Amino acid sequence: METSPRSEQPGPGHLEGGGQDPANLLTLVARGDHAAFEKVYDQFAGPVYGLVRRVLRDPAQSEEVAQEVLLEVWRTASRFDPARGSASAWVMTMAHRRAIDRVRSENASTARELKLTPGPETSDDVADLVETKLDRQRVRRCLANLTPLQAEAVKLAYYGGYTYPQVGELLNVPLGTIKTRIRDGLIRLRDCMEVTW
Amino acid sequence: MSVQRHELHLLTGSYALDALTEGERAEFEKHLDRCPSCAEEVRGLRETAARLALATAVVPPPEMRARVLAAAPNVRQLPPPGRNRLNRAGRRAGLRRPSLSRTGVTAGVLTLAAAFVFLLVTQFSTNQQLHRSQASNSAIAAVLAAPDARIEAVPATVGGTVTAVVSADQHEAVVTTADVPTLPDSRVYQLWVMNAAGGAKSVGFVTVSSSGSATPVLASGVLPGDKLGITVEPAGGTAQPTTTPVVVMPVSA
Repeated sequence: METSPRSEQPGPGHLEGGGQDPANLLTLVARGDHAAFEKVYDQFAGPVYGLVRRVLRDPAQSEEVAQEVLLEVWRTASRFDPARGSASAWVMTMAHRRAIDRVRSENASTARELKLTPGPETSDDVADLVETKLDRQRVRRCLANLTPLQAEAVKLAYYGGYTYPQVGELLNVPLGTIKTRIRDGLIRLRDCMEVTW
Repeated sequence: MSVQRHELHLLTGSYALDALTEGERAEFEKHLDRCPSCAEEVRGLRETAARLALATAVVPPPEMRARVLAAAPNVRQLPPPGRNRLNRAGRRAGLRRPSLSRTGVTAGVLTLAAAFVFLLVTQFSTNQQLHRSQASNSAIAAVLAAPDARIEAVPATVGGTVTAVVSADQHEAVVTTADVPTLPDSRVYQLWVMNAAGGAKSVGFVTVSSSGSATPVLASGVLPGDKLGITVEPAGGTAQPTTTPVVVMPVSA
């Protein structure tokens, strides 16, 4: 209760402990802890590669971008601020942006084929991670709670890597409508998945 | 004003999904600074998007692990951002700054690095390549800055040139190509580290753009006596080379 004004703030991540909590691990990584980086790699390589692959499709390119993202985690770990979000949100935001940058820079030169469906869920050479099954079930269940338009819009924007005007065009929905559908859909997903932030 | 604000607020969802156009993104980020409720909403929606991301997890290519872990020590980490005044003094006391002068850079290496940077700049001028990550650039820079780095260029049988900068001390090489023909989508150039015993280890793919240039690839685990080789393989690559290499470069000790 009565905290002394001079009490030192423990801050994110004590020197000892740490454990497997990704936020603590990132704090250690920021100090150049290579063993912590290995653990971070093992926690996030699957989701990072999976997400990038989902957006880019091309395996070679996805591997390249995933590697860049994971090294970027190492490089910029000091910029992770646990007060502003979870470790997974920080890493996955970085991964998604990288994939999107790649998509959009390529679109500038070559027209990418626009498809309504996000393509095959998984292909033979891509094995699901066991612990992902639960995440996947929950996401699927919560997506099913959305209106078809909301679900399609969110999926095309996130997994498809399209801008909301492109999503609007693909779904034949006016701009003003599509941005509210994306927002409403995400809010519903947030509530369904009980995201506490 | 309020109408416009309201409009901007509707973009939280698209922003959290990286679905804004570039101009709008910049505008929206400015707005975020002034709109705490928007920032709060974005935070929650970001976390939600992360759940969508985690659900896509698949087993990554196994060779990626060694490559990333080997590259990390050669990538200089960013210092912590300046905290607000209240925290700064305490933080400083606790954290040792990495020494700037840890790596001595000799004039000879600088010349070599300059030559290679010139090569990179002349080859990688397309827009796409400007998006290359700083992370991979710094891993590459670390190889270039290695005191023992050597540069070698060899013509490929399919045309064009393959260039490698090899650091025997760091067991790493940076490989790139110039004027090598592009492949159909069903084929890739796969890069191998081949040892004297005839074994080959895949270290990645060399992606050649339509302009004939390639993004540099970092090969780790390169030992003296090894050779770097590139073969044409089916998309996705193979575990072992299945075709005659279009180029083989010895790694001099």
